[in-house]
Amino acid sequence: MTTVNDNSSEYITNSSSSSSAGLKSLITVIILICVCISGFISRLFSIIRFESVIHEFDPWFNYRSTVYMTDNGFYNFLNWFDDLAWYPLGRIVGGTVFPGLMVTSGAIHWFFHMINIPIHIREICVFLAPIFSGLTALATYLLTKELWSKRAGLFAAAFIAIAPGYSSRSVAGSYDNEAIAIFALIFTYYLWIRSIKTGSIFWSSCTALSYFYMVSAWGGYVFIINLIPVHVGFLLLLGRYSLRLYVSYSIFYILGLILSMQIPFVGFQPVRTSEHMIAAGIFILLQAYTFFDYLYNKLRYVRNIETIFFNLSVIISIIVFAIVVLLTYTGYIAPWSGRFYSLWDTSYAAKHIPIIINLHLLICLYPVGAWFCVKDLNDERVFILLYAVFASYFAGVMIRLMLTLTPCVCILAAIALSKTLDYYADAESSEMVSNYDDSVSICDEVENDENNQYLDNNAQNIDETDDNDDDQNFLTSNIKIIVVTCIAMMLLLFIVHCTWITATAYSSPSIVLVSYNSDGTRAIVDDYREAYYWLRQNTPEKARIMSWWDYGYQIAGMSNRTVLVDNNTWNNSHIALVGKAMASNETEAYKIMTMLDVDYILVIFGGVIGFSGDDINKFLWMVRIAEGEHPKDIKENNYFNDNKEYRVDKSGSPILFNCLMYKLCYYRFGELYTDSAQPSGFDRTRSVEIGHKNFDLEHVEEAYTSANWIVRIYRVKKLSNRFQAKDALEKLTSSLSEESFEKNDGKGVILNKPHVKKGTKKSMRRT
Amino acid sequence: MCAQQFVYILGSFNLFLAGIAVICVTHAENHPEHYSLVYIAISIFIFYMGTILVIIMLQIIETYQEQNQLALEIQIPVLKILVPSQSNAIIDENLTIPKEMIRFSVLCIFLAIVFVAGQEQDNLINTNVERTLDLVSHLPKETISVTIENRGTKAVRYYDYYAEPQHVNDVAFVGAVVKGKNTDDQASLPIKQEATDKTKGAIYRIELPSDLRAGQTITLEIEVVHANALRMYPEEITQAERQLVLYKTNAYYYSRYATTTQKTIVTLPTDRAESYTQTPKPVAKSEQTITYGPYENVAALARNEISLHYENNNAFLTVSNIKRWIEVSHWGNIAVEETIDIYHSGAKLKGSFSRLDFQRKQDSYSAVKTFKTSLPASARDVYYRDEIGNVSTSHVREMQDQVEVEIRPRFPLYGGWRTHYILGYNVPSYQYLFNKGNQYVLKMRLVDHVYDDQLLEQATIKIILPEHARNIEFYAPPYDVQRLPNEKHYTYLDTVGRPVVVISKRNVLFQHIQDFEIHYTFDKIMLFNEPMLIVIPLFGLFCLVIILARLNFNISHNESSESRMRIQAIWEQIVENNIKRSSFYQKLDDALNAYKTNKDLKIYNEQRKKLENELKNVQQDLTTLQTKIKADSADSSEKIAELQRLDAQQREIQLALSGHTEKLVTGKMQKQPYLEQEQLLRNKVRDINARVTAIINQY
Repeated sequence: MTTVNDNSSEYITNSSSSSSAGLKSLITVIILICVCISGFISRLFSIIRFESVIHEFDPWFNYRSTVYMTDNGFYNFLNWFDDLAWYPLGRIVGGTVFPGLMVTSGAIHWFFHMINIPIHIREICVFLAPIFSGLTALATYLLTKELWSKRAGLFAAAFIAIAPGYSSRSVAGSYDNEAIAIFALIFTYYLWIRSIKTGSIFWSSCTALSYFYMVSAWGGYVFIINLIPVHVGFLLLLGRYSLRLYVSYSIFYILGLILSMQIPFVGFQPVRTSEHMIAAGIFILLQAYTFFDYLYNKLRYVRNIETIFFNLSVIISIIVFAIVVLLTYTGYIAPWSGRFYSLWDTSYAAKHIPIIINLHLLICLYPVGAWFCVKDLNDERVFILLYAVFASYFAGVMIRLMLTLTPCVCILAAIALSKTLDYYADAESSEMVSNYDDSVSICDEVENDENNQYLDNNAQNIDETDDNDDDQNFLTSNIKIIVVTCIAMMLLLFIVHCTWITATAYSSPSIVLVSYNSDGTRAIVDDYREAYYWLRQNTPEKARIMSWWDYGYQIAGMSNRTVLVDNNTWNNSHIALVGKAMASNETEAYKIMTMLDVDYILVIFGGVIGFSGDDINKFLWMVRIAEGEHPKDIKENNYFNDNKEYRVDKSGSPILFNCLMYKLCYYRFGELYTDSAQPSGFDRTRSVEIGHKNFDLEHVEEAYTSANWIVRIYRVKKLSNRFQAKDALEKLTSSLSEESFEKNDGKGVILNKPHVKKGTKKSMRRT
Repeated sequence: MCAQQFVYILGSFNLFLAGIAVICVTHAENHPEHYSLVYIAISIFIFYMGTILVIIMLQIIETYQEQNQLALEIQIPVLKILVPSQSNAIIDENLTIPKEMIRFSVLCIFLAIVFVAGQEQDNLINTNVERTLDLVSHLPKETISVTIENRGTKAVRYYDYYAEPQHVNDVAFVGAVVKGKNTDDQASLPIKQEATDKTKGAIYRIELPSDLRAGQTITLEIEVVHANALRMYPEEITQAERQLVLYKTNAYYYSRYATTTQKTIVTLPTDRAESYTQTPKPVAKSEQTITYGPYENVAALARNEISLHYENNNAFLTVSNIKRWIEVSHWGNIAVEETIDIYHSGAKLKGSFSRLDFQRKQDSYSAVKTFKTSLPASARDVYYRDEIGNVSTSHVREMQDQVEVEIRPRFPLYGGWRTHYILGYNVPSYQYLFNKGNQYVLKMRLVDHVYDDQLLEQATIKIILPEHARNIEFYAPPYDVQRLPNEKHYTYLDTVGRPVVVISKRNVLFQHIQDFEIHYTFDKIMLFNEPMLIVIPLFGLFCLVIILARLNFNISHNESSESRMRIQAIWEQIVENNIKRSSFYQKLDDALNAYKTNKDLKIYNEQRKKLENELKNVQQDLTTLQTKIKADSADSSEKIAELQRLDAQQREIQLALSGHTEKLVTGKMQKQPYLEQEQLLRNKVRDINARVTAIINQY
């Protein structure tokens, strides 16, 4: 009797273990799909709350160029001269952008239209970042799978899908380069790991292609082209040189170099700038090392060969370094750019860094993961450790680079968690953990799935190894249950935190502001679009609009009008000129504006509803930039009062009260009652009554002011006529009819007037 | 509708089943013992294809039956429609030539009659004319109540309305009804515009309901709306100024017939008139109205220009361009989208716009802050947006007979300011789409309400019919529209493109909101075209995956993995074999126990022999497996040999046990030693079983 029972039960476990591979892959696929979907959905808050438009300011340029590309084709886009920007200079867009983003969405648009799905390019642009975050999760899974295990990979995918550090820059409606670049970054790293593991030409070519995509998408490609050589260098130092490494790096470097130079914006930088020289140096070093290695194998019998080769290597490295320094010095290689120097400036790090907000639980787990990697080192784990070290440093120095740190933190945290749970989860506790499934929301499903899935796996592993591995038995099952439950709770909290952060901090669009009425209803302040649309509809098509550069992309994108300066701040003197116009008094400003052919001036003013990001608060920056270029005319100190304070109330400085910016912001504001308890002209942003009321504008007139006064647009008046126009014309025609050829004695008022105007223009140029 | 829902349900059910089938197949891949799942999957696919075939067959039968029925009835609907709208029908080129010819000849006869009649029509006179000139809105509206008497000898059928030469281009609408009848069933009389005479003006020929015999009288009410007839005077005003307009018109009713007595009453929007022409006397003004006349015996085509300069602060809105898309779906929805360019056609804003003044004082007389658009009562999913996103300042109010959208442009519209927006909504098709078999009729408004007193300078209407619609015939509402060549539109899952009927019309007014009709043929079977476009590729994909999963794409012949798989297969058989073996031993044991109690040697021997035979078979199977496996794995072969050895041992033990029992039963053996022996043997058996299990578990 007993025999039979034994047999049959054995049989059942036997079959289940042999068939688990299929089930495992099915569950893996399902989990990955869930991860992608949750990554996608968690980024849609802004769309659901507001609408499907580009929500941020800067991406309006990307959007505009994408629309241009879909309308006019790729080659026209590459040759596009944008005459709406930087009047009168213009901008050669094709040569000054990373086209990856536009090409990606353009390709998706083209594909959909090919199969007759008439989706608007706007929708593609809005949803591109969430879609690519799903792909990033997949790439992270692949990378972690290569580094550690499938289980850790699933965790890493789930983490990256919802980590706020990444979702901060990839919510729907933020159509920025980073949206696709992080995917390209992780995928390149995955392919790189793959290629050094296999040493196959195929994988390293794929790495180069993926690197090419990254180069086309984001300036952060420099991170790849430095990290991979550093990885190779460390492997050499650690004595982990192999032919696989040689093949994969040589192919990656050569192909990657050639491909990256195809991007017009990058051009010859990869061979001319210092940022790329580590890669070249390592390449040469690797060639030399391989050569010596080859010789060493051939000439093994020669005595002292090792010291000779070591010395030779050292000499060659010194020579390479010296050549680079020499070339830099002679100017063949551009020195490190200013942006790169800023990475060595640690004073920035002293400021508050929202690292906890962005990474929460992961930041605690990630050193643990790093420790596990160190304990069990191999070629690819060296890579993730280097990645962690560099990314942590750069994220500390420059908060934007938090973005590159996040994937690495997710991967290492996943490794830590996976390893921990390998140890603590067993068959009994898996039932316990699965009980809390019922009480959690959709978002958590992914996490739970994952827990269960690999608890199952563990159960099997432990079953199999139970007989010969008795040292686990000192952990009673109760302790295991407690640990696993704690981990599950922490993950739960992490999910809640991520969702909350994404929903509150990163999903509030900047083109619409939200205010809440006293009864709790939501009121949308849509002043930006109101004013921009007014510009689009009711100004001449070729009108030139002067505003501070922050609003340049939006005006070009939403109003379709020419701007003087925009967010691509490549020409400081032009910006300084605009700053000077804003900081000068009306007459001086009018000279600058006529020189620059300005038709309209746009300022942002928050004093009526208490919006703090307005031009009065930014004004000191304009003054400083103007002072940098025109130190004689503009002095920052003039805009402070006697107590060295920047104030707009009665104690403010008279020069401030007379500058164009002040006048444009506060024109007729003195007559407005913003608060019943306060006198008229009370500025709610700065909580003061303004110091200078009841002034008139001489050279400009109010053209439009939005409903909440946030955007104020002024029209620059043309020079007023010296005579009444009607009389002048009559005089002129009469004089012409009398003696049309001889007479030219000053009666020709129209001829005379431009002469005067020219004089002022010339004198202006000299200053 | 019911059939469509049924298809939806069936389709999703089928997709669900397909999902199950795929799961079954993947599961069965990894569980050879559950191979029966594949049969389930296959049967699901058969069912799946079967339902598709059944649907197609049903549709074919239905279509066939309908066509048969249609052959009998086809005349009726076509005739019914052709008759009332004969004069305005614009017929697709698909119409046959004879019909064209008939129409042409009818037209010739008609023209001939007109020509002849025109010679003799001077005998009509207007006995009494009361003309009301409504200048409240930006569209001056004349309502002329004219009593006509036939003083000739012949009966008259037509009455000519003349538009003055300088107003020829202004006239946007002319309509006429017979006055005095029951107001409910007043059908507007057909009007035809004749060639414009440069000196006399444009002629609108009104067809009377019946011949007007000699001496008879009839009273007509003619409504004429002028567009762009007002002149802003002054043309530019500041924000705080009032808007003044100048309107020039004729003091008399301009007619080609002599008029006995007539009177013109002008209604102004306010009582503030800057100036108005005081001649010809008598002229009387009281508050908002100015009365010219009555005048006696005015000659035909008499003109006396008067000009009115008055304040008008009503909304001077003009839509410069409207594009209306009507997309018909046979799945129960009609999507309407209007792209509108609108501007303020009043006096232009001079100087600056001050938000402070706009907010503080209500003196922005002429600015338009908001207007209302009425949509059909069944309109759903209303959206109001422009190039840069939703316009967040609008409200939708659902009312009994309409959905009212309060359109508030992003900024107030001052004179000369313009804006652009898109308004779209869905309506259920059952209110507008009718069918009989495969014949469909779409009956909808050609243009819809945009705002009260609307003036749409250029309207383009595009009606997108379903793919594969044939025999398209367009019947315009009773006014002239221009039909442009058909276009093709490609959208979701389209292969040959959807036919688009394009209509263009200038100066569309509120009075033009009338229904058009489109007749077309659409085979219901084509409704399944698009679902099939999804279903078939998906089905193909599933099939492809199933096939690909079973193919080997390795370039090199992988010996080791194949042999591994072979070994595994054999071991699975061994496992099965072992189960069988164990069960036989169990049975043998049972038989022995039974023998112990009932002491029937004969039955026991029979059973034992049978079971031993079976065991021998099992043993043989094992041997064949061993020979099979020898080629792939010597190790496995040894394991099997050991299994056989163990089995032989077990058989011996079983035999010994049987012998002991026989001895016990026959009394040759005492109970106590027997029990000891049995215990010993059973321990041995347990030991053997443990070893067998250990061997098998290695695989």
